[in-house]
Amino acid sequence: MTRLTSLTAIVAVACMITPVANAADLTVNVENIAQTKGTIMLGLFDQATYNGDGAVNGASLKVEGTSVTAEFEGLEPGEYAVRLYHDVNDDGEMNTNPFGMPTEPFAFSNDAKGRFGPAKWDAAKFVVEADGTTHTITMN
Amino acid sequence: MDLSRRHFIEAGMGASLAGAVGVSFGLSASAKANSMPAWHLGYANAPAGGFDPAPMKLVFGTPPSDLKGSLYRNGPAHFSYGDEYASHWFDGDGLIHRIAIEDGQAVHQARFVETRKRREEQAAQTFLAPGFGTLGDESYYVESADDTNAANTSVLMVDGELLALWEAGSAFSMNPETLETKGPKTWRDDLKGMPFLAHPKVEPDGRVWNLAVGGSRVGIYRIGTNGALEDFGLVNIGRAAYIHDWTMSERHLIILVQPWINESLRPPVVAGFEWQPQHGLQMLIVDKDDFSNQRWTQAPARMFFHTGSAWEESDGTIKFDVSFYKEPILGVGGGAAEIRGEWDQSYFSEEGVLTLVEIPPQGDAKLIETGIIGEFPQVDPRFRGKSRNLVALASGASNTRPGSTTLAVHNWTSGETKAFDFGDNRIVEEFLFVPKSGGQSDLESWLVGPVLNIKAGVREICVFDAAHVDDGPVCIWQAEYSWPLGFHGTWA
Ligand SMILES: [Fe+2]
Repeated sequence: MTRLTSLTAIVAVACMITPVANAADLTVNVENIAQTKGTIMLGLFDQATYNGDGAVNGASLKVEGTSVTAEFEGLEPGEYAVRLYHDVNDDGEMNTNPFGMPTEPFAFSNDAKGRFGPAKWDAAKFVVEADGTTHTITMN
Repeated sequence: MDLSRRHFIEAGMGASLAGAVGVSFGLSASAKANSMPAWHLGYANAPAGGFDPAPMKLVFGTPPSDLKGSLYRNGPAHFSYGDEYASHWFDGDGLIHRIAIEDGQAVHQARFVETRKRREEQAAQTFLAPGFGTLGDESYYVESADDTNAANTSVLMVDGELLALWEAGSAFSMNPETLETKGPKTWRDDLKGMPFLAHPKVEPDGRVWNLAVGGSRVGIYRIGTNGALEDFGLVNIGRAAYIHDWTMSERHLIILVQPWINESLRPPVVAGFEWQPQHGLQMLIVDKDDFSNQRWTQAPARMFFHTGSAWEESDGTIKFDVSFYKEPILGVGGGAAEIRGEWDQSYFSEEGVLTLVEIPPQGDAKLIETGIIGEFPQVDPRFRGKSRNLVALASGASNTRPGSTTLAVHNWTSGETKAFDFGDNRIVEEFLFVPKSGGQSDLESWLVGPVLNIKAGVREICVFDAAHVDDGPVCIWQAEYSWPLGFHGTWA
């Protein structure tokens, strides 16, 4: 038991320390937001999570102008992608029309676009460098 | 049919036609350079900037003094970039025409609908967007139905707003004077990007009904005379039938579920169609006051593009006229050959037959076939949904070129059909009823529509007396140039 506890403690400390050692910060700017209301709901994904529901990290950003900024700290350097939508009516959902097509604005990192579906990982991925990265998404 | 009358018109217009051929620009010149057949003018690119307002010349007859208004029309009008041709007629960019008629004068103008497809393809000078018969370029993103919108099928005027219609995406709002594009029309925030069929039904008082088709789910729009959406509901039609048109009586919406099924709806759309005649033609009848109040009826398998209009007898029998085909036309390749200037008599497959459908209060529907071939059935707008006499059709066929030769008007009351055959030299398009001033019945109306004079290489707008089309045109205005064949129009 003691041994386990100490192991856990070591792992926990290691977890706290290791990312800090490789700390990579990411700033995501979202620009050209059409409507000054609601919230930008932003998900940060790695390749393993991109096509699923669970994001690596996320942010909800109140829209008070034409742009918002999300800051992520202590990320593992590597490839990431952003999916976001503008929850214009603040109901916590990405609204769709009766045939399932989105009625609220959405975007992907690299301003990537889909073709009969979401933008592909290869089109949306970008590198978060160890010394920090700023990525800008322009809504249209 | 009155051939001598036609020959008289030909002779009477000879002098002016000779002049017109000389000054026709752009379209006919390039068609000749490519040694295209004369009828290919109907499938040649219109100038990228459209047509600035230009008076048409009165070349025959006397214009009715009470004829005042605008004929708006839409149709695909861009088919090639260099040697590359559109894969399907339905995928050409929509060109909106206005022929303004007043005091015996007619002025034509036209502008392309500035869709994203149009903008990007014009900039790149190549085809990019997927479509009805087009796979599209991988680089062209598609995030909504409107990314592939060609806005090329019809027009609708609601409360002074001109809309360019397609069927798989939004209507596009246009300036009715300048024909400049404003942008996609959103009827309500939660309906953004919903399809809006190119065949809305307008009640005589101006209320508009239309459908949104998405596989087996069909949305119903009810739009007030003030242009605002009054209601939207959803019904299920059971299978993903191709729905281009439908019909409506005073009390009911009638959705024809033809056994021409397309489950995929991925481009090229045309590749996904399957003819399943074992299902017959099923029809869903929906109460306009309560969309959940529905009943089904059926008829033998038929394919169709266009209905006339429906009415109800006192015992509840619903009747409507429609152009029915025994099996699908315009499948893979349909309309693609004509764009390239290819056509011969073997292209004749099925022809639409004017048919009266009688739906009794209970049981199966009955089909009464007239034997009159034709398309683009039209009725007097004062009698939409109501009992009436007349239906007009673009009828007849030439053995020298595609397209109709004849304007035919059938009278359901008398059983009589009157027609005017323009012959091989003119392609007849959709003619619209325009009520005569003070007229009470649909026998008192004008028919106004375009023909393509392939001999002269120019366009003409013709007016007929709807009750006497066999007397020939009342008047003809002629443009100094041609424009491609279109689909549908509205009079406003
Ligand atoms: Fe149509």
